[in-house]
Amino acid sequence: MRFQLSFRSGKPVYLQLVDQVKAAAASGALAAGEPLPSIRPLAEELRVNRNTVAKAYAELENQGVIQTFAGKGCFVSANNSPYNKAVRVELLTERMDDAVVQAHHLQVGRAEFLRVAEHRFDAFQHQRDRTTR
Amino acid sequence: MHSESPIIDIEQLVRRYGRTDAVAGLNLQVQPGRCYGFFGRNGAGKTTTIKCLLNLLRPTAGAVRMFGLDPARHEVAVKSRIAYVPDAVAFYPWMSVRDTLDYFAGFRARWNAQTERALLDQFRLDVRQKTSHLSKGQRTQLALITAICPEPELLVLDEPTSGLDPIVRREFIQTVIGAYQDADPERRTVFVSTHLISEFEGLIDQFTIIEGGRDVLTMEADAARERYQKIHARFAQEPGAIDLAGAHVLRQQGRELEILVNGNSRDVMDRLKARSPLTLTSEALSLEEIFVATLSPREVVA
Repeated sequence: MRFQLSFRSGKPVYLQLVDQVKAAAASGALAAGEPLPSIRPLAEELRVNRNTVAKAYAELENQGVIQTFAGKGCFVSANNSPYNKAVRVELLTERMDDAVVQAHHLQVGRAEFLRVAEHRFDAFQHQRDRTTR
Repeated sequence: MHSESPIIDIEQLVRRYGRTDAVAGLNLQVQPGRCYGFFGRNGAGKTTTIKCLLNLLRPTAGAVRMFGLDPARHEVAVKSRIAYVPDAVAFYPWMSVRDTLDYFAGFRARWNAQTERALLDQFRLDVRQKTSHLSKGQRTQLALITAICPEPELLVLDEPTSGLDPIVRREFIQTVIGAYQDADPERRTVFVSTHLISEFEGLIDQFTIIEGGRDVLTMEADAARERYQKIHARFAQEPGAIDLAGAHVLRQQGRELEILVNGNSRDVMDRLKARSPLTLTSEALSLEEIFVATLSPREVVA
């Protein structure tokens, strides 16, 4: 997979990596069992410290998105989050709040917002269908 | 937070030359496994500090500890765990690259021949070449190879890229630090002093800005980029005076406003949102801009 990092976003670089892997896993761009690049080459390619990549992978492993096998590397887990549903919903709520605030700021109303959300679900589904076909 | 002792521990360091304090009460700690930036203008006290770490200079006051040891009392124990690349490197001109590597290896308990071969290949250095025939960039490459092959616990780089070709320098610093931290990364620490900060943007975990011999800002790079932001707002009409909670206005031109915030971006954004701007965006400062903002906020380019 290809990563897009920005030092301008104000978001910690390791979190950008975490989010991009999670997005790729959710959309099916990364399938369960697929390997992630190893730390050193990825760090060199992205021009970041290896600590940054290692921290991102540790976080992804913590969240159950990937699994590490000693000597083999990191692989995308089958879709089972280690959190219980309440915690998962809470994690999602934080993200939703950001989007709601942003919508308000951009003067996108409630109905429009919900329509966009539906549309995004469809887009991910569509992408997943295409990659698994 | 950290149970291990820091690799570098500088407490209230003072180093005087005649009547001038080149270092004037510096505090700094580097934890193992970090890639630590030491940023300052020319003459800020960077090289004097590094010389105190290496026991090339004795502190006038204050304390320096390396791996928990006093570098003056345990000189060999400390130096055997460090590699140092100064800003200007010199080799014996009559030696070839091969002779030079063997000569340096002779002083060391360990020498990773595999790393040596990989980097010689990558840099396309000819081992038969005399060091007097190397370009400045090649001499730095050779110095970096001699620094990391002994697998030291601490790599000290003093202005490693100054005076080099801008296209190659960033890449080979990346390569060398990558090779160095490839094995056993928790015990491989990098301390890099530079005023060419943009080249180290992604590599630095944590940094200290030194000015006038004192530490003026120490932060994690990610936290710094979260804290220092440039906000741009455009309004339908000229907004007039807005209370921005002390944030620094970089530019106000008609309907547009550009502001530098330091830690209170949410508050400032809220105050701006209350005025219903047409557009409102924020972006993090780069480490180099943070450096400029810290030393002279007026000079941050809007």
